[in-house]
Amino acid sequence: MDLRELYQEVILDHGKSPRNHRFPERHNREGRGYNPLCGDKIALRLQLDGETISDVGFIGQGCAISQASCSTMTEAIKGKTVPEVEALFSKFHTMVTSDDGADDDLEALGKLAVFAGVREFPMRVKCATLGWHTLKQALHDESGEAKTE
Amino acid sequence: MESAHPHDIGTIVDAEGVAIRTGHHCAQPVMEHFGIAATARASLGMYNNREDIDALVTALRKVQELFG
Repeated sequence: MDLRELYQEVILDHGKSPRNHRFPERHNREGRGYNPLCGDKIALRLQLDGETISDVGFIGQGCAISQASCSTMTEAIKGKTVPEVEALFSKFHTMVTSDDGADDDLEALGKLAVFAGVREFPMRVKCATLGWHTLKQALHDESGEAKTE
Repeated sequence: MESAHPHDIGTIVDAEGVAIRTGHHCAQPVMEHFGIAATARASLGMYNNREDIDALVTALRKVQELFG
């Protein structure tokens, strides 16, 4: 396994300088994510207008994979509807957990495809999905926080 | 190593064949006391030799390459 497969330039860049790393001025949904095994934390806020995510931002701390994944996620979901975002999460999840990537929908995933290398590192799958689980919790307005354990 | 998170350090040195421990080391209260979420820790045993340490240093240079 090649480390460059995991630590692609896009991931290193977003890990170092996460996009949308601020809370939006208006928000009506909030999610908190926590991975107790590594201490990664994410607080995500978004503005849902009807079915559309009109703004989203997060404050978080953690490894390059978790922060880069949350950063690219916020870019990917802004302006999309809830069903579109749920479909995207499903495709992302399939990509990082499948054995061979045969079912990867790279076209739909766009920039998120840089996380395909995570599947070679099972320990890091939870880093890559923490932001998405937090998003799911925010959208469904479930109480408490999204935990990976 | 400041710009690299302990879990990223762990994954990289692991890929280079070196096992270290990362995270809170089952010592959450003391980690909380010092205000840190995770650290990377290399532990030596009496069976480790100079080559092992060289391998660790080489692996850590790789971390610097990626995150420096």
